[in-house]
Amino acid sequence: MTYIKTHIKHLLAAMVLLSAVQYTCFADGFPVRPKRLLLSPSVSYFIATKGWDSLRVKRPFPDNGKFTSLTYSLYAEYGISRRWSVVATLPYVTNTYTQTKYSNTSRGLTDLETGIRYYLANINYIYYFMLQGTVITPLYKNPGLGYGLTGAELKLSFAGSGHLFGNSYYFTIEDGVRQYFGSQGPIQNRYSATFGLTLDKKFENQISVALGGFYSVSDLKNFNVNPALDKNFAFNQVTLSYGHSFSHEFSIFVSGGTFINGRNTGAGSSASIALILKPFR
Amino acid sequence: MFDKLNYSIVKNSFRALSLVIGLFFLCLEHAAAQREKEDGEVVTEVVAHDANAIFSGSADFTFSVKNSLNTDQEGTVGYLVTTEKGDKVLDKTIKVKIDRNSNESYDFHLPELRSGFYKINFMINTSDYDDTTRKAFGIKPQEIRSQYTRPADFNQFWDNAKAELAKVKPDFKVTALPKQNTDNREVFLIEMKSLDNYTIRGYLTVPKTRNKSRKFAVLLGLPGYQVSLDPMLGLDNDLAIITLNVRGQGNSRDEIDTRRDEYITYRIEDKNKYVMRGVIMDCVRCIDFIYSQKNLEHDNILVSGGSMGGYLALAVAGVDKRVNLCSAQNPILCDIRRLVGEVDWPVSSFRKYVATQPGLSLDKVLGNMDYYDAKNFAQNITCPTLMGIGLLDPFAPPNNEYSAFNVLQGKRRIMVFKNLAHEINEKYKELEGRWMRDTFALF
Repeated sequence: MTYIKTHIKHLLAAMVLLSAVQYTCFADGFPVRPKRLLLSPSVSYFIATKGWDSLRVKRPFPDNGKFTSLTYSLYAEYGISRRWSVVATLPYVTNTYTQTKYSNTSRGLTDLETGIRYYLANINYIYYFMLQGTVITPLYKNPGLGYGLTGAELKLSFAGSGHLFGNSYYFTIEDGVRQYFGSQGPIQNRYSATFGLTLDKKFENQISVALGGFYSVSDLKNFNVNPALDKNFAFNQVTLSYGHSFSHEFSIFVSGGTFINGRNTGAGSSASIALILKPFR
Repeated sequence: MFDKLNYSIVKNSFRALSLVIGLFFLCLEHAAAQREKEDGEVVTEVVAHDANAIFSGSADFTFSVKNSLNTDQEGTVGYLVTTEKGDKVLDKTIKVKIDRNSNESYDFHLPELRSGFYKINFMINTSDYDDTTRKAFGIKPQEIRSQYTRPADFNQFWDNAKAELAKVKPDFKVTALPKQNTDNREVFLIEMKSLDNYTIRGYLTVPKTRNKSRKFAVLLGLPGYQVSLDPMLGLDNDLAIITLNVRGQGNSRDEIDTRRDEYITYRIEDKNKYVMRGVIMDCVRCIDFIYSQKNLEHDNILVSGGSMGGYLALAVAGVDKRVNLCSAQNPILCDIRRLVGEVDWPVSSFRKYVATQPGLSLDKVLGNMDYYDAKNFAQNITCPTLMGIGLLDPFAPPNNEYSAFNVLQGKRRIMVFKNLAHEINEKYKELEGRWMRDTFALF
């Protein structure tokens, strides 16, 4: 009589941040346990002194321009039932653009994202398909913080886990289509692929690499140094993360990322720290 | 004193002699191995053209021969297909010549066969080498059905048993065994009264938690034949695990304590007193126990076991709808009448017992066992069920296993191990764990 402990989701596995300026996406393609609340406060910093133009040529911002963004974000996820869960993200952002003899700062709550996630299917209880619908609600009037438009997103996730070199791995592939409503509201394709590897048998330490990006289309083709305001743009970024679990209830992630190519957007780098809390285990 | 000394001398001398003889044989073995290495050898391999050796019509195999000898090998290779009972179905032999230090492969395409499982022996008979490789394969196993019907009063029989059990006050007892606790689990001895007022015992292990209101999904582990189960531990922090020693096994031998081979026939002459009636009710009583515990989830119960444990998993899931998941590995006693002529045990035990009981016949025993046939319980099972079988199983042959599997009423899945006998491997246990966690939403 034997029983082998198995894992559908490897502890921190799915909670890798994909940060694109103030956009903080939680790459989580696994189902959520019913009645389980997960909270993740995070802080991320983005800096860009260069940008890609509409011909994908990278140039420094004019007049020693520098764009920085500091984002505090709270992500929450709650399992309603075996198949359904709800998610929400609330960011607070400070955007600053400086040039020689010029400085402008905008700060405030930005786009509240509330969504519902459905566990579609699995393959052999190893690979999972999830579908998520999200509503984007702007909580600001300041045009320096974002589009100020309501939006909706439909996202499909595919995730799985297994064993590699004596350790456990997981992966998540996500693709979401987001439409902002209103005048010149862009339609965006947001995608990411994450691969993570645990470094020990107790799942206490792990590293992951994520490749993600946006492809945004709009009639408004102007370039803005603040990537949150561009509407017709594209970029890809790579993110490396290290996660450590102090207990089943508390983990921490440290991530660093950089844009690797783009069009009509800033070319920047980001760093972030996220805590993962499961208070009612 | 002298006796003790003499005994010690004799014992030491015997040990020394044993060592010398052991070394002698070790040298001989080493020399033989060395000779074989120098001279080369013949190695054969049979590969079924389906991962599980299950085909939709005709079966295909490749028989490979590696001749590392320094001599050419001339002779025949071939196959013999028989039913599970040993009746010849097909055979074929071809003449071969395998050059020294060379490899040859022979593809065998078998003619269409009727649905069912067959044994197949691949033989090689050449100048210096004779060998037989035994395999099994299946044709359209989803079409397998038992020829033997279920007694009309089967459900009534088990309703009566449960009604009888309900009259027994359970007197559940839970005793902490702190010395057996581990870093992450607490261990308890559990006791309860079951059918016939027999005392049944087992163990419960529960993950340690600071959350006193937390409830745990339950794995109920059921025992193999005359296997004594101990507390089951492990690292899983989401699951309470019960290991139950049914009457006459492990620490539940107060009223029944038979010799090992007599247990299967204990009171088999009377279907109302047969040991398995009480054993199955012991499992039902354990579900009662789970329902009596506040820290155990009542709607997330997995019953699992191998061999007799697999049989009991099917039986309890068949008579008790409170079971939410059923996992049966190599369950015995499936399509029992068909076992006659197919397997040695348990039919040999039935025959042996019949011979000691005047007026009792094998027919009478088989008639009673109709009420205990796993395929008859399977018809009542509506919860999701996972089964694991070995195609070379000498106690639970694949035809019989499929007779039970094919009549399961709920979601069902079977893992077939073409090269295993009365066992499953780790892949099954991993799938069982993932399936359980998914169904119980332990993400």
